[in-house]
Amino acid sequence: MTVPVADPARAGWHRLSPRMLLVHPVHEVLQQIPLLVGSVVLGSATGNPMWLVGALAMTVVFGVARWFTTAYRIEDDEVELRTGVLQRKVLSVPRNRIRSVSTDARLLHRLLGLTVLRVSTGQEATGDGAFALDAVETDEVPRLRAILLAESTADPAGPATTAPRRELARWQPAWLRYSPLSFTGLAMIVGAVGVVYQAGAGTVLHESRLARLGLDTAERFGVAVTVAAVVLAVVAASVVLSVLRSLATYGNLVLSRDREMLHLGHGLLRVRQHTFDMRRLRGGTLREPLLVRALGGARLDAVMTGVNGAGEASLLLPPCPADMAARVLTELIGRPDAVSGPLRGHGAAATRRRWIRALTVPVLLLAILVVLAVLGSVPVWVWPGLAALTACCALLAMDRARSLGHRVDAAWLVARAGSVERRRDCIATAGIIGWTVRQTFFQRRAGLATLIAATAAGVKRYQVVDVPVEVAWDIAAVATPWAAELR
Amino acid sequence: MIAEPAHPPSRKAPLVWALGAAIPWFVLAAAQVVWLIVDRRYPALHAAAAAGTLLAAVVFVAVVPLWRYRVHRWEITPKAVYTRSGWLIQERRIAPISRVQTVDTHRGPLDQVFGLANVTVTTASSAGAVRIVALDSHVADQVVAYLTDIAAIGEQDAT
Repeated sequence: MTVPVADPARAGWHRLSPRMLLVHPVHEVLQQIPLLVGSVVLGSATGNPMWLVGALAMTVVFGVARWFTTAYRIEDDEVELRTGVLQRKVLSVPRNRIRSVSTDARLLHRLLGLTVLRVSTGQEATGDGAFALDAVETDEVPRLRAILLAESTADPAGPATTAPRRELARWQPAWLRYSPLSFTGLAMIVGAVGVVYQAGAGTVLHESRLARLGLDTAERFGVAVTVAAVVLAVVAASVVLSVLRSLATYGNLVLSRDREMLHLGHGLLRVRQHTFDMRRLRGGTLREPLLVRALGGARLDAVMTGVNGAGEASLLLPPCPADMAARVLTELIGRPDAVSGPLRGHGAAATRRRWIRALTVPVLLLAILVVLAVLGSVPVWVWPGLAALTACCALLAMDRARSLGHRVDAAWLVARAGSVERRRDCIATAGIIGWTVRQTFFQRRAGLATLIAATAAGVKRYQVVDVPVEVAWDIAAVATPWAAELR
Repeated sequence: MIAEPAHPPSRKAPLVWALGAAIPWFVLAAAQVVWLIVDRRYPALHAAAAAGTLLAAVVFVAVVPLWRYRVHRWEITPKAVYTRSGWLIQERRIAPISRVQTVDTHRGPLDQVFGLANVTVTTASSAGAVRIVALDSHVADQVVAYLTDIAAIGEQDAT
């Protein structure tokens, strides 16, 4: 396929897919539900149903008008998007600033064969500022993607799509074993309960047969058993929901690359495709949440310019076997020692700080309880509880101290920290454009510092926590020659 | 160990910081006086509030500005912008001049009265901005002129 940039037929403005004439009104109606509810109220108050009909018609017309007023244009040096029915807006993005292209198709879009196409640049752009074609026909997407990324790949030999694609990772059912350990299911249940109560079902529920049945059961079996049963049911539902969500989101995930592009596609219901410019890759983060790590898992985030570092946008692999995540990151950055090589620890002072911080709360609690016990009485079960808390804190301190470490050479900076959310950041030193050495009062007394590498990629700040202060400057000097000159 | 940045901020900096810190505490003290006039029922509460305000005002108006003045330093070398700042939490920041994107000057109302200026040097990273605060205006102008001259702004910003 050639890149028809210079083709005069394409120099003009394009509309989105005509099928959006069906989607826009639906979206518009969904967005204007408060207005429609208001018109229903007004209609029943005045006895004139025309209010509702009028409001509905207005909304639908507005939705249709949206299609007629939205257009995009792909020029030689920039892409432009015109939007807005009443307030006209033109968004233009220089083509050499395009860092990644992602597509997203929700159910309604998929039914109509449509796909949303988003262009992301180095700048932070959210909401109105984001360049999104919502939506174009799915058959159009490969062509548009090739055109949009052609400038940024700047390969005179031809478009990037001709290079052979190599698969890095493919989702396997075994990955599902990590998903019950996440809290997404619980979050979904809490969210659903919240919506139900918001809708005013709470009062209905209080007087319903269901509530009476619950109270009867509680009386018959005792409160403890009922609460345990409810908790068990919620946990079971949460596990099932987590697994289902994980399956729907990541089942069929494929991560592949050609010479210049990284392609990620996933989603059984809502299909998402991300295409990243490999030259913007500044490293990766292996994240090992405690429970996932306990089962030998890890997840992988990209550290990439123009891609938001936190959340879904930068995700390359969901929780999967740790060696798989490490292998993929090694393939991406080409440095096995940075990905899995041993780290240099941060020394006794840093370990001491982990212990002091973890044990402060138990010690304070102990002091308070001792005072209470002397003054009056404290229930007996408190003491084993405190012992258990102290043991947990001690384990946390031990793990956190063990996690701390870094490794640096002229090309890569690696830092690991944390226990509950342990992460190993691998950052290319070429992307580091600033250093902060931060010392709190207690860190100064302990001779430690937190070194923060600033980059334009990912979460923008990558920390080496609690290194001895002279080591912090050594790291900066080794990683970036311009910092060495200050010594 | 790394060399410390060479230059202190303007000599007027502690005074300006102290005035800036004094204004909210003065407002709070005035509010407490009004409260005392309106309602005299709880003398102990009034005394505690007054003592708290006084103590915090002394710390933030007298101690902190002098502490900050001892910490704050800045320097511009041929390759990097380098600052030290803070008081309880102290930070040293370095940014390479080759990656500077913008150089901004900011003057607050008090800064204008006392002829001070703050210079912010930004790079492509939102975590990498270096702020040189409370410079004498003419020094700030020199710094901005030097930086915009030396830095090939926007040439290679590592994005």
